[in-house]
Amino acid sequence: MNILVVLRMIPDSAGELQLAEDGRGIDREWLDFQLNDFDDHALEEAILLKEAGGATVTAVAIGEGANRVLQMAAARGADEVIALQAEDDAMISSRTIAATIAATARDKSADLILCGVQSTEDVFGQLAPYVGAMLDWPHVSGTNRVVADGAGLRVTQERGAGVAVTYEMTLPAVLGVQTASKAPRYVSGSKLREASKTPIGRAALEPSGFERSAEIRELRLPAQGGSGEDLGNDAENVADRLVTILAVNGLTANGLARK
Amino acid sequence: MKMIACTEGRSDKIEAFSLEMIAAARSVAAAGDEVVAFFAGQAAKAAAASFGAADRMIVADAAGSDLIPAETYARLLRDAVTAEQPDLVLVPYSANGLDVAADIAARTGWPLLSYVNEIKRDGETLTVVAQMYGGKVLAECVVKLPAVLMVNPGAFAEAVPSPIDATKIQQIDAKTAIESAKVKMVAIDVPDYADVDLTTAERIVCVGRGIGDEASIDIARDLATILGAEIAGSRPVVDNGWLPKLRQVGKSGQKVKPKLYLALGVSGAPEHLEGMSHADLIIAVNTDPKAPIFNVAHYGATCDLFDLVASLSDRLQAPPGR
Repeated sequence: MNILVVLRMIPDSAGELQLAEDGRGIDREWLDFQLNDFDDHALEEAILLKEAGGATVTAVAIGEGANRVLQMAAARGADEVIALQAEDDAMISSRTIAATIAATARDKSADLILCGVQSTEDVFGQLAPYVGAMLDWPHVSGTNRVVADGAGLRVTQERGAGVAVTYEMTLPAVLGVQTASKAPRYVSGSKLREASKTPIGRAALEPSGFERSAEIRELRLPAQGGSGEDLGNDAENVADRLVTILAVNGLTANGLARK
Repeated sequence: MKMIACTEGRSDKIEAFSLEMIAAARSVAAAGDEVVAFFAGQAAKAAAASFGAADRMIVADAAGSDLIPAETYARLLRDAVTAEQPDLVLVPYSANGLDVAADIAARTGWPLLSYVNEIKRDGETLTVVAQMYGGKVLAECVVKLPAVLMVNPGAFAEAVPSPIDATKIQQIDAKTAIESAKVKMVAIDVPDYADVDLTTAERIVCVGRGIGDEASIDIARDLATILGAEIAGSRPVVDNGWLPKLRQVGKSGQKVKPKLYLALGVSGAPEHLEGMSHADLIIAVNTDPKAPIFNVAHYGATCDLFDLVASLSDRLQAPPGR
């Protein structure tokens, strides 16, 4: 089986976002970029499939820090790594990169494409269904377990309220991974150093083939704080206030003990 | 203008957000416009009994299949879109919608905007507000029609359920699409809530990524015990295996409405807020003052969560007068 896995570098979700001066994007200059969490799980699922039944894994990364993440992917077991050249300072839109991912999949004779189910920059649509539709391959999003089963796959998908649905599907296919079957593995420094010798291929983005989804008129930060009360940042004070707030709302520990 | 509102069901029930999609379509409909509800699944009867707010309904009745895979749903929707040539297709942001929205956008070439909270009509275009970066940024966008929008559950109030006139219902054949599907459902696992049922819990202490590591969960669990609360986690915590799946709050976990929701180190991604924003009393502790959890919290604190848990536990364990 040939697996293509997509790794997108996105702004650190814990970091602070500043709007760009023109108000139509975020200021990317001082941002930290990290691998999209869901893509990390997609990579893990690819490596797990390789370990379980043999596969060739090609990892494609895009965005700032792509090289670093590709070395990590190689250390975890990817056989070939390719950096896609992103447009400078542009968000990584699934709608924009889907055509290139589809073309790379054809080029590598991929049977299976794995990517994270979502990213924080996929407001113009999600990658797995875009690529699946463009290739006319079946796609399932939100997977938390993938097992190779004869000529196809057995895939479990998370639905709301803890409900899980299992499907059988044919290959070739595209999966939007929510959680890998096992948590992403740790890579040791020595393995990383060894993998740093892996040659990184380069590829350019192809035209998306789509018209733009929308013109962004304005980005804004949501109204802060809502109507809630700020209790401040002093833990002792906050604890004092919370004891009162809980009591007023009939939520004391004692109140419960008497229940 | 013609709008297709995509609706869903599982087994014999419709999903509540289906009525929100119809309401969202209705909210931009002018006199003479048409709102068409699209339903594919087994709950065709329940849909007919509830979708009266739509002008028409297209139904692919899949009797005997508890749940239609998104691939099949998308194919049936595609047929409806080809036949109807709508100006706007509204898809819910759901497990199914995640596969359907971009699929239909790719195959039609139409614009797509996801995580939509607001839709306003400006003549031949729409002004749409969508969430980005986990709800940290709102994007106001101009979208040309025809277009596809993936709408957040909870963004629009549900349409009032009422039966739709039988003459307004058009059945389409689901059999071919189901039989030729490349994705076939083999099992649905519904969890056993015997041990934990967060949906009925009166008090919940929820830990997020800010808890840092697995060992620290115990500190929060001790506070939960003192408060008589259930311990819960956000998606990253559960994905790391620090808490079982049944204790996850949010879109892919449980939707809860306790009397007390104490969020420790939870940033408040939209998917999390969807599961808990209706709690009676929300107290959030997060060192990032811009964390979106504070937008729904009744009380917020930006102190270190471990300091707070220690101080609060001390006070609650030493009640005055004893």
